[in-house]
Amino acid sequence: MSDRIVFQDVSKFYGEILGVNRVNLSIPPGVTSLVGPNGSGKTTLMNLMTGLVRPTRGRVQVLEYTPDEPEKLFAILGYSTQFDSFPKGLSGFQFVSSYLRLAGKDSDTADQLAWRAIERVGLSDAAPRSVASYSKGMRQRIRLAQALCRNPRVLVLDEPLNGLDPLARAEMIALFRAVAADGCYVIISSHILHEVDAISDQVILLSNGYVVAEGQIHSVRNEIQEHPAQILIRCNRPREFAAKLMVNEQTIEVRIHNDERGLLIKTRDPDRFYLTLNHMAMNGIEIESVAPADDDVNSVYEYLIGNDEVVR
Amino acid sequence: MILLWWMQIRSVIRLEMKKTFFARRGLWIYILALLPLLLFMGHDFVMSREQARRQRLASQSERQLTYPDLLGVQPGMTGQDVIARLGKPPRRYHWNERRQSDPTSLVLVLHESFHYSDGTNDLYVDLADGKVTNANLREGYNLSEDIVVFAGVFQFFYLRLAIFFGCLGIFMNLFRGEILDKSLHFYFLEPIRREVLMVGKFLAGLLATCIIFGTSELLQILVFATNYSPNVRDLYLYQNHGLASAAAYLGVTVLACLGYGAFFLASGMLFRNPILPAAGILIWEAVNPFLPSLLQKFSVIYYLKALCPVDIPSPPGTSPVLALLVSNSDPVSAPVAIMGVVVVAMLVLYVSSLQVRRMEINYTTE
Repeated sequence: MSDRIVFQDVSKFYGEILGVNRVNLSIPPGVTSLVGPNGSGKTTLMNLMTGLVRPTRGRVQVLEYTPDEPEKLFAILGYSTQFDSFPKGLSGFQFVSSYLRLAGKDSDTADQLAWRAIERVGLSDAAPRSVASYSKGMRQRIRLAQALCRNPRVLVLDEPLNGLDPLARAEMIALFRAVAADGCYVIISSHILHEVDAISDQVILLSNGYVVAEGQIHSVRNEIQEHPAQILIRCNRPREFAAKLMVNEQTIEVRIHNDERGLLIKTRDPDRFYLTLNHMAMNGIEIESVAPADDDVNSVYEYLIGNDEVVR
Repeated sequence: MILLWWMQIRSVIRLEMKKTFFARRGLWIYILALLPLLLFMGHDFVMSREQARRQRLASQSERQLTYPDLLGVQPGMTGQDVIARLGKPPRRYHWNERRQSDPTSLVLVLHESFHYSDGTNDLYVDLADGKVTNANLREGYNLSEDIVVFAGVFQFFYLRLAIFFGCLGIFMNLFRGEILDKSLHFYFLEPIRREVLMVGKFLAGLLATCIIFGTSELLQILVFATNYSPNVRDLYLYQNHGLASAAAYLGVTVLACLGYGAFFLASGMLFRNPILPAAGILIWEAVNPFLPSLLQKFSVIYYLKALCPVDIPSPPGTSPVLALLVSNSDPVSAPVAIMGVVVVAMLVLYVSSLQVRRMEINYTTE
């Protein structure tokens, strides 16, 4: 029995158009973000995972099931797609409840589960209203409720924060973290990198249908050798400290911050740099803070893919 | 497992019924289903007015006339004989004709026309010079002719056009409509076997078409039967196989929905443009009588024609080719015909079940 979501040499072509090519992934529990520009293959990966499209080549397995067995797979998986359309004539509650009954739930159980999911996404007041009257953010939330209503072990969310206001975004991010904390697999695609940073345990970077990098942000960042690590140090005598740092063999470049209260250091070996930092910081130099400046999705994305079509 | 599938099928039917019955784009299906009913209601209206006119005429007669009284008037009788037999006519017209008896003289010929009714039938008696030249008995109803007309409307309009296109509209949209609305993925993201989903959708379509077309057919039969006096109605229903015919028409309606429904469900999954397969099936069904015997069996109309309760006689002079449209060249028994439709439908549904398993959601290419 597998405890991972596995892609084995998966390719998907839409006619002559490449969706994704030769993807090999093994996704652990926690929040995994798919990051990449439009057309990079994020939605295709999600659709492959859920059987909405079939791989041209390769094999996909979600824990112990394959997407060819929807009757088993969707007992453990919920998917909130990007398609902004709904069956006509249903209220938000009916939408969640009716599709729950497709799973074979009786009316009472379906209603209970539907209400619980609707409450989790904060849409209780609007639930009796027709979905047709919902705003974009409300439609996004009712789709989330539908994906959550069966308490799935795997939650696949395609751009789940689109259309949500800042407060709702924060609530949803907290919700995703809570779901992941229960040992679930939360797969999220997003353009919004600072939110990905806040949510993700690991990222999968995609570009033009290829997986460019995968893993924890820090590990991915460390793998990018051609871009030295950047470290921001806040201290009281930055010029004096800069002179000392330049003697250190790990230091490549030092810039003094405009406010004369900090330094930006570039180094090829951040771990060794941190070890020697205490020796250098003496003689009255007081260090307020030391923090990596490019150990985030934003920087990793920029180094590996470029900065097109990304919201920071 | 079977119980679970049944619960899931019921849930699919529940979701689909609302969409099918109240879809704005399905309005034309109701119109199509109700057209023959409107035709028979119109006929009923005209017939009831005629009946009222005959009743008025009968009440104006000197005495209550009967059908044998009217039959008794024959050419050659005198006007006095007619009046002695039927009483003074309630409607009487006359005119004079100037007829040249020889080159030098004209003779005046008195023409008369008597109009009687027994309340159900009309008798028009033409007299010339006091003698009956023509006794034209027009029956208020001609049951056997009306039965053939009903059968004709059923076979040529209701079965081949109304039910055919109605099934097209409903079954084709079960999958295709949802793809166009971009809402099919909600079904595909539920823990339900796709084959079970397909069966649920098919049964929803079958239920909807059977209700729409079955109800219309039932109403047509009712309107057809209420057209007649209670005596004639009883004669038709109980002694003239009327009830059996009504059951057969309803049965054929259900089988037509089953057969055409299966074809159009498959078409909706296999083709993006429904016009082409619909035209193909329409042509296939139309040319069915002209196909080799083996190929004929792969159509729905072949079996349905065999189940229709009334044979429509070809008008005299009809070419054998056109006559084929009416009856099967290779008649089949009712059990074989029923099994035939069911087997054809099951085969098509099996193909659909293979297709639904492979279906992908890719709205952008639709």
